[in-house]
Amino acid sequence: MTVAAALLLTAGLVGVLAPRPLLRLAARDVDPTLSIVAWLASAVGVVATLTLAVALLLVPDHGTHLLSRMHDCWSYLEHGMTPSVEAAGGVAGLVLVTALLARLAVVSARAARRRARTRREHLATLRTAARQEPGSPSTLWLDHDEPLAFTLAGTPGVVVATEGLNRHLTDDQVAAVLTHERAHLAGRHHLLVAASEAIATVLPFLPLFRHAPAAVRALVELAADAAAVRACGVDAVRTALLKVSQHGTPGTALAMGEDAVEVRLERLAGVRRHRSPLLGRVLCVAAGTTAMALPTVAGLGGLLVLVALGCL
Amino acid sequence: MHGLGELEAAVMEVLWRAPAPMKVRDVLDELNNDRNLAYTTVMTVLDNLHRKGWVDRERDGKAFRYEAAVSRTEAAAKALREVLTASGDPEGALLHFARSASERETELLRKALPRKSRKT
Repeated sequence: MTVAAALLLTAGLVGVLAPRPLLRLAARDVDPTLSIVAWLASAVGVVATLTLAVALLLVPDHGTHLLSRMHDCWSYLEHGMTPSVEAAGGVAGLVLVTALLARLAVVSARAARRRARTRREHLATLRTAARQEPGSPSTLWLDHDEPLAFTLAGTPGVVVATEGLNRHLTDDQVAAVLTHERAHLAGRHHLLVAASEAIATVLPFLPLFRHAPAAVRALVELAADAAAVRACGVDAVRTALLKVSQHGTPGTALAMGEDAVEVRLERLAGVRRHRSPLLGRVLCVAAGTTAMALPTVAGLGGLLVLVALGCL
Repeated sequence: MHGLGELEAAVMEVLWRAPAPMKVRDVLDELNNDRNLAYTTVMTVLDNLHRKGWVDRERDGKAFRYEAAVSRTEAAAKALREVLTASGDPEGALLHFARSASERETELLRKALPRKSRKT
């Protein structure tokens, strides 16, 4: 009971407190992908810890003396004895966790279907009007004076760009925009956004889950900016961002949007050289593993400290 | 689905380049310079495009003559309007280069700034 309670407590604490340090991680000059991985891994860690806590409740004596208690367990069953409070709690927890995971699966699948349909419709419309430039990913060029660019998710995804980019931006600025968009596709950013939307829908009661979509949407932009900076330099990305945002479509570009762009610009001002891709990947895995294991390790560690203090 | 979309684009391309309204047969001949399509396929595509408002047609004897209802530029604007004003994007099907962000997102972005530049 105590172990399970400690795990539940830390899962809750991480769910409430984690966003702050995660944002601080994003503020350091690290690859934004690292922050996204850490954020999503923390979410997975919290769910895993909840599941573990429930599982422990269900195991008589929390598995500490599993073998020696097998006999008792059998006799409980044989004599039809009333289950202990924790077992009842465990069953309730099991139902809850199973329901949560099932809902997550349903919500994700439904969103994926909607996304595929939206993409199909958009693609049909855009293709009719656009000139397609083959490539991987292919680019759809629209004869439109306003400089615009966006990506459509899917396998394969497509980059959509307007001729306005070529009219109003220099070649390296256009390259910066296209690199940014291709980074979204290469990094599967649409999937990351979709995953964060799904967990926020299913588990809105913890800030870690509730704020995941906004954080991930913001961070994928920073990640794509970083990729563009690596390929085309800071100046090209900054100027492209300025020019494209100033041309904002009337009605769709809100003042808030310009704020977000401003933040990206400020961040670009502080970009430093990036480490090697391999090291980056190693760091990503390390951050992900740490974030995922943190709730469980913290719960058990805290308990050990309590035990140690109690025995001294 | 994918193939049909591509055909619609090819047919529009032909109509945009044509100086005058075209019969299905003319469009077919033009397209069959580099592929081998059936008459009925092209007729279906033109029918679809007419239904969607991309092409106009007028009767000429027994057949229809088709022409693009909108210029290429108008078509681009129409496509953009359709795609970009689609209400929200809760499933993340679309990622923009410089997109309007929610207030929450902007706030989180601000927090994600290095301390140094946040003060300035």
